[in-house]
Amino acid sequence: MLDFLQAVSDGVLFGATYALIGIGFTLVFGVMHKLNLSYAAASIGGAYCGLLVLKVAAGAPAWLVFFGAFLAGGAIGWLVYLTCFHFIPLSNPLATLMSTVGMLLLIDEIIVHVTNGMPQNYPAMFDDVMLRAGEFTLRGDLLLVFAICVLCMIGLLALLYRTKLGLATRAVSQQPVAAQLCGIRVARVNAMTFVVTGLLGGIAGAMIGAAVGALSPLLTAPLTVKGLIVTVIGGLGSVPGAILAGLLVGGFENVFQLYRGVTERDLYVMLLLFVFLVFRPGGIFAPKSGRH
Amino acid sequence: MKKIALAVSLALAAGGVAAQEKTIKIAGFGAKTGAVRSFGINSEAALLAAADVINKQGGVRLADGSKAKMVVEFYDDRCTAEEGISIIRRVHGTDAIVAVGPTCSNVAEPLFGILQKKVDDKGDSGLQMPVFTDVAVKGGLAKISEWAFRNVPSEMTMYSSLFYWLKSKYPNAQSVYGGVEEDFAHSRASWYAVMKDRAEANGYKVLGNSKWLLNDSNFATQVREMKSANADIVAIAAHPFTTCGVLKEMQRQGVKPKVLVGLTSSSSMETLQGCAKQAEGMIIPTSFAPVTKEGKFAAETTAKFKGAADLHSMAAWENMFILKQVIESEKVSGAKGELQADRRKIRDGLAKLKETKGLLGVTKRTDDREADKPYLFVQANKGEWKVLHDPL
Repeated sequence: MLDFLQAVSDGVLFGATYALIGIGFTLVFGVMHKLNLSYAAASIGGAYCGLLVLKVAAGAPAWLVFFGAFLAGGAIGWLVYLTCFHFIPLSNPLATLMSTVGMLLLIDEIIVHVTNGMPQNYPAMFDDVMLRAGEFTLRGDLLLVFAICVLCMIGLLALLYRTKLGLATRAVSQQPVAAQLCGIRVARVNAMTFVVTGLLGGIAGAMIGAAVGALSPLLTAPLTVKGLIVTVIGGLGSVPGAILAGLLVGGFENVFQLYRGVTERDLYVMLLLFVFLVFRPGGIFAPKSGRH
Repeated sequence: MKKIALAVSLALAAGGVAAQEKTIKIAGFGAKTGAVRSFGINSEAALLAAADVINKQGGVRLADGSKAKMVVEFYDDRCTAEEGISIIRRVHGTDAIVAVGPTCSNVAEPLFGILQKKVDDKGDSGLQMPVFTDVAVKGGLAKISEWAFRNVPSEMTMYSSLFYWLKSKYPNAQSVYGGVEEDFAHSRASWYAVMKDRAEANGYKVLGNSKWLLNDSNFATQVREMKSANADIVAIAAHPFTTCGVLKEMQRQGVKPKVLVGLTSSSSMETLQGCAKQAEGMIIPTSFAPVTKEGKFAAETTAKFKGAADLHSMAAWENMFILKQVIESEKVSGAKGELQADRRKIRDGLAKLKETKGLLGVTKRTDDREADKPYLFVQANKGEWKVLHDPL
């Protein structure tokens, strides 16, 4: 039982990073009805950029690196929007999908060329703190990651539901033509969505780097897959869904690993995805059928 | 005016003759993109550096007594089998007399499979191209084809020697626990067929092993298993990224074995770049450390070509000098019409070798075209790999 609880708690805490990646996917899909497959790579790219802080100021605190990753993530998000969406006809769904696949590979290869593929040590906070209750333990750094992820989610929800930008974003998401007729600049809202998701991605990348303790280009492909699974399970376009699904996938992943081993783990995560696609294709927070 | 034109023409012609010096082309190939890009970069730098040294010494002597410069053309196989196979087919169509590579065992294995299995087998249409591997470490691959040769260390010999030495150095250590990157051919083979086997052969009790995947990022469950086993020695058969992830998780969970053993390929700068602090004390057997005069020179020269010296890249360096020796002893002509005959001479020359001169000493060549290289035990110490013990 203890092993089970430990696996669930470890997984759920780590799942917070999946949730952040899932939010990025779902937010772009919710607003533009397009998938940005380069999102996880851009997030890891942002985290790598955060390491530049240590180049400029050796020995800088970890939070400064995270903040650097946050800003870099936003900038990369805007660049992704410009290159993959702004100048490409949005009416052709395949064009933007393929451009983001290209961007994923491009970012990955830029990272590989700059670092020669070498893993980079990534700073963490509270990585020497371990909360103990008998045999049960909780990693201090993962608790911080979890807390930062929760704060980001709260911040994002506040942005979406308490600000004019959020109102405009939701309007464009629901009725882009009507929103445009109301004077909302759709292209600007789309760009801002990418910047906001990029900022979140930068934090997600930094939190993943901190949780693992190192960054590698090997991270981008599995994170892309996990992000997509989280997005589908949570419901395309649903931010609360992505949050819950991220935690769920993280927890399930660890439980599957505990009982079925690492080689079967991903098999069961994929089965979980298929179960949702068959029995609840709209995801956890699927909207009720009919007009709303 | 005519005289001036004639003089200019003669001068140009003379320059042309001088420019047309003889060359012997060596095709290098390895991963220059993807997560193992550093391997390809280092191999290429070592090949270029060795060629530069050879050329500055006058080049390589051909059958007719003339000298030729060694030229290296390097290809990126991206550590994928299909690209590796495509490259070797392309190289076969060029005037390269031998190929040095690849980086990854998962490329070497299928690539050797498309070479002719046995020389002179007329029923086998496989490629007749000598391939002299510098990096791919998985054991026993050269037996796939008689055109395949390797200058990589024998993990079986090295880990056998390491566990034997640990037995005397740490007499209280009785048990071993493994950590293995389950989805990577070399790591798997290194744990199950080499480390585990050699530990048991040396009287250690193997308590089990934890598994993870090459792309994994969460190692909490695996390290918890490791902690429960409470073994004296933890042996990790994984590449630098996950090795670092596991070492960091071991630190968090307070797993402190008496001895930490790593994978041969991890005795490079990648591991120390990712987790020098956590890797402190890790012991790895390796076939290169810059401890000899030749080794230091090779490392310094390779650095000028923007490459790092490690057990892999220095094997590429050694390969160039071995090839020079074979070209000269087998009287390779270097003539265009003799290309296939020259390739055969290289193959036969490599097959004849019983020993070669390496950077750590004499390397013995086995009948199945593998190398039995000298080796050392190195230990991570304050961000550097320092020689811990010379067992030979």
